[in-house]
Amino acid sequence: MDFDGQKRAERYFQIIIILFAVVGFIWGYITQQFSQTLYILFAGVTVSALLTLIPWSIYRRKPLQWQAVLDQASKGASQQGSANMTQLKTKKKKLKD
Amino acid sequence: MNSFTSRLNSLFAFTLSVMAALTFCCFLTTVFNDHIRPVELNVAKVLVKNVPDYSADRERSDLGLITFDLSTDILLELISLTKVEHLQPIFNWNVKQLFLYLTAEYKTSEHALNQVVLWDKIVERGDNTILDLKNAHTKYYFWDFGNGLKGNSNVTLTLSWNVIPNAGTLPKVQGSGSHKIVFPDQYTSGRI
Repeated sequence: MDFDGQKRAERYFQIIIILFAVVGFIWGYITQQFSQTLYILFAGVTVSALLTLIPWSIYRRKPLQWQAVLDQASKGASQQGSANMTQLKTKKKKLKD
Repeated sequence: MNSFTSRLNSLFAFTLSVMAALTFCCFLTTVFNDHIRPVELNVAKVLVKNVPDYSADRERSDLGLITFDLSTDILLELISLTKVEHLQPIFNWNVKQLFLYLTAEYKTSEHALNQVVLWDKIVERGDNTILDLKNAHTKYYFWDFGNGLKGNSNVTLTLSWNVIPNAGTLPKVQGSGSHKIVFPDQYTSGRI
């Protein structure tokens, strides 16, 4: 799940749960059974869990655009590094002598 | 929100918040109900005995013996909105059960206020809510703390109830309607 997908997943489950909660509240008030309200709310929770917990493909549409790898620069850096290493080794040898 | 478990966590937390809000709203819809119902009370037999109270100080105390009639339809409550009175079920979506209790209240020379619970009943939601008792015996002894019942002509019987809700306050309601008991001037002795 990319960043945009995470944002949308959170918004989706909030909207779905609040929608079910409002409908459940009205239905519970009509039937005068608070348990009905909670059952409808749990139905909403199940629906939103199925829709947003699993990283469906719709949440992976905007992957982060990383900068392209700079081949030349990275090669040079690694060569310099190896050169430094050889320098260190020679220094150590000198100290031992 | 990047992993399954963190999404599960935030979903669960959000659900709990919504449930709390729903419960509070449910309480708000019933907060102005007064739960008052008319109650008809009457007494058939009224006797008073003077016997040692072994459960307390072993002194001879007054023991009232009464049988009572009680009639009420607890199902509906009287609501007065803008001078128009109409009946509304006392059992709504925020009431689980009622605890009804019959109280005798009186004054003696020693104590300014005495309250004795004589009878009680639990009415759950879905139970029969029409109460019609005839010549019923009290469930608990009507002991006076001393000798204040003989000749006492101002003992008031009332029916009260606690409304046990899903959420919110626990109202204590006194039914409208009471009955005044007049105890005889003579003690009854022997078996009745």
